[in-house]
Amino acid sequence: MQANAPSLDGPGPTQGSKRSQTVSLVLLVGVGAAALVLARRDPSQREEDTLVYADLAACRAQGLRSPEDCEAADREVRALYPTVAPRYPDSAACERHHGSGGCTAAVAPAPAGAFVPLLAGFMIGRSADQHLPVQPLFRHAPDEAREAAGVSGVSGGYCTSGGGRVWTARGSTLARVSSAVARGGPAPARVVATGGFGATGHGVAVHASSGHAGSGHAGG
Amino acid sequence: MRRLALGERPDWRAQAAAAGFTFHSLDGAPYWDETHAYAFTLDEIERGLEAPSAELHALCLAFVDRAVGDAAILASLGIPGHAFEAVRASWRRRDPSLYGRLDFAWGGEGPAKLLEYNADTPTALYETGVFQWLWLEDSLARGRLPAGTDQFNAVHDRLVARFREIGGPVAFTCMEAAPEDRGTVAYLQDCAHQAGLATRFVPLEAVALDSAGAFTDALGAPLGTLFKLYPWEWAFRDAFGDRLAGTPTRFLEPPWKAVLSTKGLLPHLWAMAPGHPNLLPAYFEDDPRKGALGASFVRKPILSREGANVLMVRDGAVLARRDGPYGAEGHVRQALCALPVFAGQHVLAGSWLVGDVPAGLCLRESPDPITGNAARFVPHVIAP
Repeated sequence: MQANAPSLDGPGPTQGSKRSQTVSLVLLVGVGAAALVLARRDPSQREEDTLVYADLAACRAQGLRSPEDCEAADREVRALYPTVAPRYPDSAACERHHGSGGCTAAVAPAPAGAFVPLLAGFMIGRSADQHLPVQPLFRHAPDEAREAAGVSGVSGGYCTSGGGRVWTARGSTLARVSSAVARGGPAPARVVATGGFGATGHGVAVHASSGHAGSGHAGG
Repeated sequence: MRRLALGERPDWRAQAAAAGFTFHSLDGAPYWDETHAYAFTLDEIERGLEAPSAELHALCLAFVDRAVGDAAILASLGIPGHAFEAVRASWRRRDPSLYGRLDFAWGGEGPAKLLEYNADTPTALYETGVFQWLWLEDSLARGRLPAGTDQFNAVHDRLVARFREIGGPVAFTCMEAAPEDRGTVAYLQDCAHQAGLATRFVPLEAVALDSAGAFTDALGAPLGTLFKLYPWEWAFRDAFGDRLAGTPTRFLEPPWKAVLSTKGLLPHLWAMAPGHPNLLPAYFEDDPRKGALGASFVRKPILSREGANVLMVRDGAVLARRDGPYGAEGHVRQALCALPVFAGQHVLAGSWLVGDVPAGLCLRESPDPITGNAARFVPHVIAP
C-alpha cells in the first residue's frame, strides 16, 4: 500500500510541512507476504553448496565430482578422523551428542578410555572451484529444538568435528551449509541456554489488575 | 488547542482494516476515536512542544552521561547492580537509539510539563505515524478539513531514515500475546524493511543464548541487532538479565535507555535543572524535601507501566488512584499538574523522538485523570 501525499490533485503539504511526505506499508498489509518475509533466513549469512557422502563408493556412483576427487577426499578423511573426531569422557556423553549406537571407544592418539563418534561420511564442495576442505562428518542426535521449530523434510543431520551442523534433504546428497561450517573455521558457538527472556513480563501480566484482555502488554 | 467536533468517517473501520490497523478497538470499544480532533497553531507546536522536546531530550542525554559514572544514581533508578555494566558499556559505545516518547501535560498555552519519558518501549507509534496521517490526508481529500491543514507527524519518514542510519540486519521480538505490542513491532519491522534492512521476527520466548554470549534464534543463528518491545526493567530481572554484559548482540533500545525509562529520572532532572519551565518539581519519596510539594502531588512507582500504582492527591485528598503490581523499587513524588480537560476528557500529549529529533505528536484521552491503557487515541491537526 502506498498513499502518496496528494500534491497534484489536492491541497498537499507545502514546503516546511510538519508531516511525513509519504507513508507506505510493505509488510503490514497482506498477511501472506508478511509471513513469507518473516520466515526468510538472514541473507547476510553466506552459505555454500556441499555434497555429503557416506563413503567413497557413493561419491563415485553419483559422479558429480571426479573419481580422483572422491578418492582423495576418502583418503584425507580417513587420515583426519582419528585426530579430529570429538572426544567424550564416557559413552553416555558421546551418545547424547551423536545418538544411540553412534559412538565407539577411541583409538590412539586419543587417551585410553575416551569415546568418539563413528565416522558417518564426509563433506566436499559441490565443485572444486569452491576450494572447500574435505571434512569428516558424524551423525548428530535428533535435535529437539529444530523439530520443535517445525523444520521438516530433513534427516537428523550430521555434525563436523568443529560442531557445525549439516543437513541434507531426505534422499539427497546436497547440503547447504553456512560458509563458516563449510570452511571448517572455528567451531560455531552452540546454544547453551534458551527461554531466558519473558518470565518477568508474564509474571507482571498475570498479576496486573487491568490489562489488554488479560494479555501481557509490555509497551507503554 | 481547540477541540474540533468533526464526526467520524463512516468507513473508518474498513480503512483501518486496509491499513493493517488490527487493534483499533479494545473489547468492543474504540481505541481509535475520530469523532473529534484537536487543533493547534504552528507556533504552539513549534515553540510549545517541539523545541522543549529537543531541549529535554538533550538534558536527558546529559543525565545519562552523569548516571553511568555513578553507581548510586543507577541504583536510585531501580536498575539492578548486575545490569550496570551493560548499561555503561552501551553508553560508552554510544549505541544508537531508535525512538522514545515524552509525555506532557500540555493544553497549547503555557509551558508543557513533562510527566515522564517512555524512552524504552513506547507504543501508540503506528497509530501516530500511519493511521493518524492517513486520517489527515483522507480528511483533506474529502474536504472535511480546510486546505492547508497540517499535522505534527513526520514519524514515519523519520523512522525509515533512522533505520537507514542504524543499519541491519535487525531482528524484532516481543511477547506475542498482546496485539498492540505485536502490531507496533510489525510496523517497526516494516519501517526497517523499507529502509532496505534485512529483518525477521523472533518470539521473545524463543530467544536463546550461545556459548559465545550472543543472543540467537531458536536454531542458534546469532541476532546481530535485536529490537525488543520488552522493557529493560523486566529483561534485567529475567534469567538472561545477567548475561547482557559483554554480549556481542546490540539492542534497540540500547540498555542505556533504562536510565531514562523510569520515574526515577524525574527527581534527577529537577535537581539538574531546578525551575526549568518544562519540568515539575519532583523528589524521591524518601527525600524529606518532598514536603515542599505540600498536600497536592502525584506519587508514582519508580518502575510502572500504563499508569499503574499511581496515586494522585489534591489538597490532602485522594483525587485518583490506580492499582497494579508495581512499587517494589520505591516511589517518586511529583508536583500535581492536571491534564487539560475537554468535554470531560483528560488529554495527554505524547511527543515522539526519533533518534534525537522531535518527530510528531499523539494525543490520548481518558475519562480518568490518570491515563491508563483504556485511553483512546484522538487525532490532531495544525490549523492553516
